[in-house]
Amino acid sequence: MVDSSMTETRASAPRAGPAYAGWIGKVTASGLYSATIGLVANSARAKLVLLLAVPLAWIVLLHVGPIYQMARISFLDNYPPAAEGPIHTLGNYRLFFQEPLYFLPFVRSLIFAAVVTVAALVVTYPVAYYVAKIIKPQNRTRALLLLLIPFWAGELIRTFSVIMLLANRGAVNVLLREIGFIDRPIPLLYNYFSLSFGVIYLLALYMLLPLYSAIEKIPPQLIDAAADLGAGPFQRFRRVILPLSKDGIVSGCSLVYLTSIGVFAAPLLLGGPNSVIFPEIIASLFHGSSDKWPEGAAFSILMLAVSLSTVGLFMRVAGGRSVRLM
Amino acid sequence: MRHYFSDAPKTALQASYWVFVIYLLLPLTLMMAMSFKDANFIAFPIGDWTLGWYAKVVQDKQFLEASGYSIFIALMTTIFATIMGVWIALLISAEGIWGRAAIFAFACLPAVVPGLINAISMRIFIRVLDIPTGTGAIILGHTVHAVPFVVIMVLTRLRSMPNNLIDAARDLGADSFIAFIRITIPFLAPALVGGMIFCVLTSIDDFVRTFFLGGYQPTLPMLIFAKVQGGMSPEINAMATLVLIVTAAVGLYAEHFTRRSRT
Repeated sequence: MVDSSMTETRASAPRAGPAYAGWIGKVTASGLYSATIGLVANSARAKLVLLLAVPLAWIVLLHVGPIYQMARISFLDNYPPAAEGPIHTLGNYRLFFQEPLYFLPFVRSLIFAAVVTVAALVVTYPVAYYVAKIIKPQNRTRALLLLLIPFWAGELIRTFSVIMLLANRGAVNVLLREIGFIDRPIPLLYNYFSLSFGVIYLLALYMLLPLYSAIEKIPPQLIDAAADLGAGPFQRFRRVILPLSKDGIVSGCSLVYLTSIGVFAAPLLLGGPNSVIFPEIIASLFHGSSDKWPEGAAFSILMLAVSLSTVGLFMRVAGGRSVRLM
Repeated sequence: MRHYFSDAPKTALQASYWVFVIYLLLPLTLMMAMSFKDANFIAFPIGDWTLGWYAKVVQDKQFLEASGYSIFIALMTTIFATIMGVWIALLISAEGIWGRAAIFAFACLPAVVPGLINAISMRIFIRVLDIPTGTGAIILGHTVHAVPFVVIMVLTRLRSMPNNLIDAARDLGADSFIAFIRITIPFLAPALVGGMIFCVLTSIDDFVRTFFLGGYQPTLPMLIFAKVQGGMSPEINAMATLVLIVTAAVGLYAEHFTRRSRT
């Protein structure tokens, strides 16, 4: 009651409210303010429009728009369309399934992403468990910080640094030769090994952090109770800890899978001719002239659809409702 | 005996932690060490040490220009992404908004779409709209990518904001603009600073979007990429080390700031 009457008076009459110090005072005292922003700020409907219009326009135009345009172009037979008007076709999608040169790298990419995801999970799970449950709480932030440091280096710098380790005259090969283990360098670089090594190196944090926050929430009493009831370390892990950290596993895996499907710098720098994955194929269609754009758009749509539905299915099957990606 | 058994897994876990730390830090350490190598090719062992590469890099006009360009793009991205991110977060948290979950899902879309697809769709989009590749396109691409993260950070903070703060300000005579400037913004400050630093770092690091949207002027990652492809010398290591130190310092400050404001 009181509130609505106050709003009315404020909306109709010029405001004689409190004066403010600093720039806010100058702004609110000006005639322009009471004519425009002040009116908007006091009218519920104007406020709603202001609140709605810009963000919705942004989301529709720039979040959905590019994907929509990509989908639209994927059905054209030529881009830019011929002068007589665009010809719509499914040919770009058909080409994908007919041409093993495109189809096989796609399958390889999906398998690659799955392998990287599982490897990252196996590698980071014990680390996350150690930080969340075994380290004393007062040291926990420091232990986490040590793991975060590398991730402040950019994608490209981290990828580049992997070369230092794996190159023919990189640290590993030189060290092995020094101890007399090998005569000639092992080819560690420019193949699937270096590619997966690099991608895991890039993405381990996306697995580690969700795992850490899920494991940290497990009440220690539950683990103690299982121990009191006679469960050994392995049984405690399998029957208590693992099920209770499921949320973290599901969101970590989804994040790593989605990101590793779209890696671009790593295959350029660490991959070789025998480890061509789908992102490189797509990118090559966008180089130079635009006559292959519709094909590239169609392939991108396929990749987007398959990766998002894989993750969606995975989250539905494994995670139920409680899981969110972020 | 029992004690021994219960400790064995702990030791194994501790070992796994330290192995993982070494795994994370070793490549970067090697990369930094290589920047001091006194030879114009990259190979171990390092042999003679020099600071010459750093002297060369800090006088390198290309490097300085690329740094300035990257910082400019990062700042622009941060400004736009913060404004839009806060705006969208306010919309999602507003009362009586229909379809909140859908708006949130679409607001997060650029964050779940794989990076390459994101970049390509934006490349097609600017072509359709006849926007030329170059600075504007890069800023647009980076901003669209950064907005979801700002939205999520701001929303998380907004959820912990007591409703009666705004009501109190309104009762004391502030209109909603004043209440927003004097109450909401200061309350959001930690999330805003965190989000802004995140925007700066992701923009400076970004490779794939700049690769597709950029013009002839290289950003830092593009410059490093071009140098790696054009034949490697420890000069790249010196460059990368400098960039790494600056971004790590910013990241460390952000971590410190957000932790201090949380307590």
